[in-house]
Amino acid sequence: MEDILRLTKICKSFPGVKALSDVNLTIKKGEVHALVGENGAGKSTLMKTISGAYKKDEGSIWFDGRDVEVTSPKQSELMGISIIYQELNLIERISVAENVFIGRYPLKSGFVQWGKMYKDAQALFDEFDLKIDARRLVRSLTMAQKQMVEIIKAVSINAKVIIMDEPTSSLSTKETESLFKIINKLKSNGVAVVFISHRLDEIFTICDRVTVLRDGCYVGDRDISDITKNEMISMMIGRELTQQYPERSNAIGDVVLEVKNLTDGGKSVNDVSFAARKGEVLGFYGLVGAGRTETMRMIFGIDKKISGKVLLNGTEVTLKSPRDAIKHSIGFITENRRDEGLFLRSSIRVNTVMVALHKILKHGFISYKKEKEVSEEYVKKLRTVTPSINQKAMFLSGGNQQKVVLSKWLFSDSEIIIFDEPTRGIDVGARREIYQIINDLVGNGCTVVVVSSDLEEIIGISDRILVMHEGNIAGEVLKEDFSQNLITKYAVGEGA
Amino acid sequence: MKSNNLKNISAKIADKLGAWLLIILIAAIMLFTSDKFLTTTNMINVFRQIAVVSIGAIGVSFVILGGGFDLSTGMIATFAGCNTALFMKNFGWNMYFAMIVAILIGIAIGTVNGLLITYLKIPPFICTLGMQYVINGLVFVTTKSVPITGLPEKFLKIGRGYIFGFFPVPVLIMFLFVIVGHIVLKYTVFGRSVVAIGENETAAKLSGLNLNLIKVAMYSLSGFCVSAAGIVLAARLSSGQPNSGADLSLQAIAAVYIGGTFKGSIVNTLAGALVWGFMNNALNLMNVNAYWQKVALGVVIIGAVLFDTFRAKLASKSID
Repeated sequence: MEDILRLTKICKSFPGVKALSDVNLTIKKGEVHALVGENGAGKSTLMKTISGAYKKDEGSIWFDGRDVEVTSPKQSELMGISIIYQELNLIERISVAENVFIGRYPLKSGFVQWGKMYKDAQALFDEFDLKIDARRLVRSLTMAQKQMVEIIKAVSINAKVIIMDEPTSSLSTKETESLFKIINKLKSNGVAVVFISHRLDEIFTICDRVTVLRDGCYVGDRDISDITKNEMISMMIGRELTQQYPERSNAIGDVVLEVKNLTDGGKSVNDVSFAARKGEVLGFYGLVGAGRTETMRMIFGIDKKISGKVLLNGTEVTLKSPRDAIKHSIGFITENRRDEGLFLRSSIRVNTVMVALHKILKHGFISYKKEKEVSEEYVKKLRTVTPSINQKAMFLSGGNQQKVVLSKWLFSDSEIIIFDEPTRGIDVGARREIYQIINDLVGNGCTVVVVSSDLEEIIGISDRILVMHEGNIAGEVLKEDFSQNLITKYAVGEGA
Repeated sequence: MKSNNLKNISAKIADKLGAWLLIILIAAIMLFTSDKFLTTTNMINVFRQIAVVSIGAIGVSFVILGGGFDLSTGMIATFAGCNTALFMKNFGWNMYFAMIVAILIGIAIGTVNGLLITYLKIPPFICTLGMQYVINGLVFVTTKSVPITGLPEKFLKIGRGYIFGFFPVPVLIMFLFVIVGHIVLKYTVFGRSVVAIGENETAAKLSGLNLNLIKVAMYSLSGFCVSAAGIVLAARLSSGQPNSGADLSLQAIAAVYIGGTFKGSIVNTLAGALVWGFMNNALNLMNVNAYWQKVALGVVIIGAVLFDTFRAKLASKSID
């Protein structure tokens, strides 16, 4: 197969950091090419260099038969390179068709030809077997459908290379499958897809080749059929991965948290009851939309429950707001750390003490000395990688951001910590560190509840798994019975 | 590489100095243009002129930092000034008592703003716009649109007096507000919470902050500061003037934006007010006609914020 895109010895520096150094990437026509590496390895920078959002310092880009200089995202799009970012770039308040043809509305004497636009858009969706009405408003679509719209948009401008940045991170298993169908269809049309993902399983399912980056450098590329998962991981982290899920051996004690008949009026949570013990990691698995996050949000007092009780150490408590939950030593690490967990424009130190401001007071006033000591302590404890505690949260990598979120709950002495998708968007190396922190927490007598859509992860870290399906607890699986098969059966509603 | 370093350093300096850089710029130009500029009298004059706005702007800073907005401040200030005058003149109240009651009324109005905005979810811009008209009306009702004059000499000292024979009382009050405001913002849980809410309301809520209470409190605080400003203004004008504070709302907001208070310090608000004051002063000394002065001031507001965005961009680039 002939090449469509060749990047040779690309270098890019930011003041003080060499983000890319001599990176090569070759994409062939009609292949699905995985780009992997830990967070901070340079994947995003490389993508932004291809798209023209960044200007490369050195190196050359060859595309579709000639050397090119990419100066702006607009230009790269016109050439035939489309990028689908994790945070989709659609306009919510207008229709699907308008989004597909945005900036290129079919005109006749200066007026938009709406009929033609809807028809053309619909034809594209039909071609790909997608059941999306081109007249619908984008905001009424699910995350997965929105992604399809982005892909169709790329197709409609005759993209020859489509780059997808973590496309499956918010998709359910089923949605991922349909995404893969589309990718295969693109492939058969001769479109090359660059697939960026942290989920190695998916890479082995859908990709033909892989390029690995580490610390801004090109490590190598391989055919997927010539490489094992462990080999790929060692290429990414530069060492052998001993064991992804660290062992723990702490005792599990009495019931600490008990939830009885929790209901939100039939919206997403129906009569959910469970108990979690001291020193236990209780996993919650289910498909996206099964009601796991919603359950946790009610327990933490963010959303209103219609009925049901929460008991802590046997006593019923009223948790009407996060404030109440925090008073009862519950901590909640949300799945969306950028919007719900962090103050991105604030420093690590400000973030660390936010939940427990009262602990750094001296004579009623905030003590900057205490704040510094505390945040330095947690940076050290959790091995957060940062030049200083004054670094703004937005400049940290995903894993380090998660550690900052964690430190605020650790500093506030939470005894029950709920993790919603604890390792989403976090690279392999940092994941293990997060798992180790979870182990340390339960080792110290905390209770940990983990919600995850990553089956391997939930099996790897839980002592017990509850599987939710359409708002109900569909099944409970004890450690000795852990199997992907059984859990998946419960998740899709086919449990015994 | 060297030019990069130089760029970095200058970006850092620009970032640290912020609005002070503008003040230095104006001062530098004026040093060569007018020999009256850098005199003690002139300097004190500028501070005296910005005192009222600065006192009010301290309160407004909290509202804006907390992600809110307050358009009603000018009228709350006018109301407080007129009320104090009325209480002393018509009711024969003791000056301190009159001031305290007037300020309490101002706090109450701010609190109502806060309650409407938090509990009834009225957008701050609309809510305080409406409140501005309500209070404006009340001012005319209570004063019958006639200035209240003949206020006691002791009261006028607040606006016109000097201590040690040269230091204006309103400037002293202004510094007091700046210092206390600075401490409240930097060293109290309330101050920290305001900034947190302004930056990310959801994260603030999930971190256990009492959103509604803090939001209401910041509008109350705004009511307090602008009422104090209104009283100083009345003392300076020797009368409760029903038309006096109309411009104050926007001037206070301008001070917050010009100063770049978003960078986390109340002192920046003072800098913002000073830019305004020096600009005015410079144009006066250069004999620029008053109408053109308005044009120039407007340009400064837009320019300052533009400069701020540019500066922030530069700074974030150097860290990136």
